[in-house]
Amino acid sequence: MSELKRLRDAMRATERPTALDVAAIMRDGRRLRRRRRMVRTGGATLAAAFVAAAAFTVVDRADPPPAQHHPTPAAVLPTSVAPSDAPPAPVGGVVDTGIRYGAEERVYYFVPVEVPHVPRVRIGLVGGRRLPGGALTADYLVNDVKGNDRSAGFHEIGCDQSDGRLTDPQVPTFGYFVGPAHSIIGTVDGQNMKARLARWSEDPQVVIFWFDPTELAPGVPLDGIVAHDVHNRRL
Amino acid sequence: MTRGDAEFVEFAGAASARLVHAAFLMTGDHHRAEDAAQTALVRTYASWSRIREGDAYGYARSVLVNHLVDGWRRPIREYPTEDVPEQRGADVADEVTTRRWLVSVLGALSPRERAIVVLRYYFDLAEAKVAEELGVSLGTVKSTSSRALEKLRAAGIRAPETQETCP
Repeated sequence: MSELKRLRDAMRATERPTALDVAAIMRDGRRLRRRRRMVRTGGATLAAAFVAAAAFTVVDRADPPPAQHHPTPAAVLPTSVAPSDAPPAPVGGVVDTGIRYGAEERVYYFVPVEVPHVPRVRIGLVGGRRLPGGALTADYLVNDVKGNDRSAGFHEIGCDQSDGRLTDPQVPTFGYFVGPAHSIIGTVDGQNMKARLARWSEDPQVVIFWFDPTELAPGVPLDGIVAHDVHNRRL
Repeated sequence: MTRGDAEFVEFAGAASARLVHAAFLMTGDHHRAEDAAQTALVRTYASWSRIREGDAYGYARSVLVNHLVDGWRRPIREYPTEDVPEQRGADVADEVTTRRWLVSVLGALSPRERAIVVLRYYFDLAEAKVAEELGVSLGTVKSTSSRALEKLRAAGIRAPETQETCP
């Protein structure tokens, strides 16, 4: 008997009958479906809200008025938990990445979220785009689904595996780390990739990171990720 | 209950055991495996109207595996011990031994290697299909699979030794 056949046989021989709670699955599935719809609606509302905020800034700087905004439908992947009622509005600064798609730019920003029964998760990180008129899109939202959104270490990582079905362009892999991270390195197939970092305006312990899509193609799962402090000590 | 819901109930009943077991092979933790299978089925149901006419099982499997491959970055719930099967008395010792052996040898692999082994040798998917479900290249599947098998051989892929029972 070959080694692989033994492995196959062992995998099958250890199957157990399982009964999951299908009623609970369907209830949660309906809830998720509703949240996805809300985020699609919320994305458009967010774009409008951002343009209004930008207008004040522009008046202070005596710049020309912002162009008309072009809200686009937002998409969210199943890994996300969307805010339940209020439309998302950026919390703190919007991080510009320098990643451009024609006249649009990839940005990351936090939004408030509410996760049922998880009161200490109050923010989620959005991968969006800044449109030519200054409006923001909300393309991909990730947030913790348990614990505390400010606990030390890595939090949910956004890996857009929609393959262009829900997001176009796909969102570069991103996330946030809580702690004094000076560098963040991701690994795929033994190759190291350095993430770009930006501290969140509302809390300097929160480090937003993302990977350049020319180095790490969106949707390719990381095999590992580590953070180091300024003395190159692993956090 | 709508016709679509009735179809989903039937689908979930048929698919649950294999999804949970696949998740167990990837995590070595039965509680976490049930959570992951439940999550995959929730997402499958949320998209049911779109996928029910297509490969719903493939969709659920893909969601499950990718959820678990990504899952190592999330806080991991700790459970004190692996629970013991409740039935099939005479085979229980052998099954427990085999499960422990499987957890041990698969534990030598990275999350992605484990995912590829489970998709290839538990679900019997072709390498190209594995690449599609994981969103990686065929070359990545081949090289990762080869590396995984080397590790499995080093970890003792030979058949588990059957545990002696009391005379």
